[in-house]
Amino acid sequence: MKLFIKIFLWFLTATALMVGVIIFVTRTFQTEPMVSRFQRSTRNQMSIYSGTATQIVNAEGDQGLKNYLARLRDLEPPREVDLVDSSGKIWFGDPEEITDSTELIGRTFSSGAAETDFSSDDRTLGAAPVEFPDGRRFVLVLQWERQPPQSLFWGSALGYWRLAGLLTTAVILCYLLAAYLTSPIRKLREATIKLAGGDLQTRVAQKVGRRHDELADLARDFDGMAERIESLITSQQRLNSDISHELRSPLARLNVALEIAKQKSTPETASLLDRIELESHRLNEMISRLLILAKLESGSENVEPVRVDLAELVREVAEDADFEAQARGRSVKVLSDDPCTVMGSENLLRSAIENVLRNAVRYTAEGTAVDVSLVRQNGHSVLQVSDHGGGVPEDELANLFRPFYRVGEARERKTGGIGLGLAIAERAIKAHKGTIAARNTGDGLLVEIKLDKDSLAA
Amino acid sequence: MNKILIIDDDEELCELVSEYLGVEGFEVESVNDGETGLKRALTGEYDMAILDVMLPKMNGFDVLRNLRVESALPVIMLTARGDDMERIVGLEIGADDYLPKPFNPRELAARLRAILRRAVSDTNDGDPDDKIEVDGVRVVGSARTATCDGEDLNLTSVEFGLLRELLREAGKVIKKEDLSEKVLERKLSPYDRSLDMHISNLRKKLGVRPDGSDRIKTIRSVGYIYTLV
Repeated sequence: MKLFIKIFLWFLTATALMVGVIIFVTRTFQTEPMVSRFQRSTRNQMSIYSGTATQIVNAEGDQGLKNYLARLRDLEPPREVDLVDSSGKIWFGDPEEITDSTELIGRTFSSGAAETDFSSDDRTLGAAPVEFPDGRRFVLVLQWERQPPQSLFWGSALGYWRLAGLLTTAVILCYLLAAYLTSPIRKLREATIKLAGGDLQTRVAQKVGRRHDELADLARDFDGMAERIESLITSQQRLNSDISHELRSPLARLNVALEIAKQKSTPETASLLDRIELESHRLNEMISRLLILAKLESGSENVEPVRVDLAELVREVAEDADFEAQARGRSVKVLSDDPCTVMGSENLLRSAIENVLRNAVRYTAEGTAVDVSLVRQNGHSVLQVSDHGGGVPEDELANLFRPFYRVGEARERKTGGIGLGLAIAERAIKAHKGTIAARNTGDGLLVEIKLDKDSLAA
Repeated sequence: MNKILIIDDDEELCELVSEYLGVEGFEVESVNDGETGLKRALTGEYDMAILDVMLPKMNGFDVLRNLRVESALPVIMLTARGDDMERIVGLEIGADDYLPKPFNPRELAARLRAILRRAVSDTNDGDPDDKIEVDGVRVVGSARTATCDGEDLNLTSVEFGLLRELLREAGKVIKKEDLSEKVLERKLSPYDRSLDMHISNLRKKLGVRPDGSDRIKTIRSVGYIYTLV
């Protein structure tokens, strides 16, 4: 939306500036010359009037002049016509009419040529000398109403309407243009979010419409990309389920064959058969975990989120882990279990907690306890699991959550881990928009899981 | 000799299982697709069926659903390991037990025996508490029927066993370990949630009391109790 506002405002500003420049240019290069032309033509007109008046008074006498001046009065627009002598006496007209024109009359007498006065906003004054046959000198004064030069936009209701119309048109055009440019971007963004959220069937070119610009190209490229991702992930998922089926079928047969062999075994072969059973069990375990991990990473495990009682879950898993730990001379202690609930998938959360706990049980030194604490911290649920197994080198902490990562190869094999537990836990917690981190506590490793109250399984 | 029907599309596996279970004292017949499997299972010739989920023509869930319409034949489902949905769906449709594939054949034999024993003991008369009734819920061991206010609850054999144990000790807490050993006939193992799942299905079928309270309550980290009004 920000881009929309930006484009909109930029266009609007640009339009406003252009209009401003045009008005300025028109004023400077057209209005001013027009005014001076008008003044010139008024002067010319005045000299024509005065010339005509002089001729008429010469040819027809006083009465002819009076008739002529009366005719002048009726011209359009109607004007006041006065004939004044140098002492200010009115020969024709109304003395009241010339109260404002004394200065102009004086100017005309002294220059002996037509003069004008535009100082009043709404009246034009023109004066020109007229000489009677007997040598008396008069000044003809004409006054008429002048339409003040109409500004296109200011000073009248019509002008304001014009301005409003212009602005509205500019706003609408800018809005449409901005919308035209940004709507495909918005649609692309929506599609990207949907795709990232796991809806792989998202396509956008149709929605962007029939355009032939770079944005349309981008939309088509997006669709190409989405198609490729979809086919990759679908084939990945199909592969996963095929692996699940195809790898396990021989394992299932192997297990049964092994049991038959055991039924017929001699003491010498028994221990070897046990070994085969152990390895087959490990292989199976690894396949299941890899599949869980693959499901989590592709985000294909779409579970309806439900309210999960985290405290109850932690207690249950801790109990099971304690049972397992006791058998190996270790224990699991729940130090605190504040009531916490989160939205999410109970199975994923259980698997995350279980993997972290079993990992801790695996590494804690014999005779020690794994400490579990679940506390509420400003709306977050924080689960801490700490063992007493000596910890891991600082620079390897971040790698703990990588699949198949092993800290100290030899030790890991003996403890029976396959290096996927923490990776699964991390993906499961991430799917709930939570965080998982590990740090050393001095004599062991502490894994901390932080979940929001309303975290959701993606 | 108990007759077992295996419905699995893996012919080689069927052969091996037949051989193994043969030594263990079962008579085994196998079919390789869902449709034939359902037909065979409905003949009434078998004491038990082992049912795979992934089957050609008709998948395991559909076979079970159709089977349950007419028959209470005990069924063990073979589910893909790590797929909780399959497990939950299987138990909800009415499987008596499930075993993640690949399974340990010893475990399979043990579960077969447990379920068969339960089926036999259920039909034994002479049991002093063959009929138990607690506030409207009635189980009859010899007839293998459970009703609530006269309506059949359609329980699987495991759910039936659990309900009977809970009613026998109504008002008292029964440990999870004991329930697992008595009904599932195996030791309660850590991380195994199947007992909880059976109980939760049983709860759904029983429904709540008119006042909205649960008939079966969970006593955290101990077990379950059938509450008395």
